[in-house]
Amino acid sequence: MTNTKRIVRAGLLTCIALIIFVVEMQIPLPVSVPGMKLGLANIVTVYAVYVLSVKETALILTARLILGAVFSGNISALLFSASGGFMCLTAMLILSRFIDKKHIWLCSMFGAVFHNLGQIIAAAAVTGTLSVFAYLPLLTVFGCIAGLFTGICAQTAVNRTEKN
Amino acid sequence: MNRKSRILAVAAMAVIFLTAVILAVHFYVKPKSDRVNIISGGQIVRTIDLSTAEDCQFDIIYEGRRNTVEIKNHTICVISADCPDLICVKTGAMGADSSGPVVCLPNRLVIEFEEASADGKSG
Ligand SMILES: [Zn+2]
Repeated sequence: MTNTKRIVRAGLLTCIALIIFVVEMQIPLPVSVPGMKLGLANIVTVYAVYVLSVKETALILTARLILGAVFSGNISALLFSASGGFMCLTAMLILSRFIDKKHIWLCSMFGAVFHNLGQIIAAAAVTGTLSVFAYLPLLTVFGCIAGLFTGICAQTAVNRTEKN
Repeated sequence: MNRKSRILAVAAMAVIFLTAVILAVHFYVKPKSDRVNIISGGQIVRTIDLSTAEDCQFDIIYEGRRNTVEIKNHTICVISADCPDLICVKTGAMGADSSGPVVCLPNRLVIEFEEASADGKSG
């Protein structure tokens, strides 16, 4: 694949992630827990982990996090989404060496767990209190379910694109 | 992926999930303490005993950003704020049916039961 193609692909994936991110902002959640999200934009990250290089995946995630913060108008949330996002990415990059393409959903679930952990650590650091960890179990339960869903989506995308 | 590593990975995920479910239920257990700390920017700015506190409202300001806290019927909640997500307001009252802290991340505000921190340290 040429360099131009790589850049275009990364750009397109960033766009897709951002569109999903913006659409997700319009979906209200029945519960309001700090940091709780469906995290559907993570479908792109999971896909990239299995198809693209580490560098490209990290670039797509970084671009999506920064632009997402700009679009949502909530810049202060960037600290939490970034710490969660990169912790999730690191975990998935390591796990993807052991978890094959038939079990991407599993890798995505572990990623979600680490995403929540990263968020809460940042929140504890920022507020200077450990009581925010009270939210970790709730976030983890929800994150596992959401992570399973995004994982299945990414797995379908990976398997379909590989066939062509 | 061989059979052994697959079972290991699924089992690890199951343990994480079930542990989280059990601990999440704990979140809704009634608090043992009546004393709440209001922490703004990492500093305890107020400690209130909910069992004796009179109904009132007051503002907590952090770097020019505001959360209005209300004490009513021995519960405490944030009734309005100028943060972008308003999660602190939607969390609702603390003390009646939830022991979980009220958190406003954009404004660096946490309202927690006094023992909650000690619980966190011991795991
Ligand atoms: Zn708030």
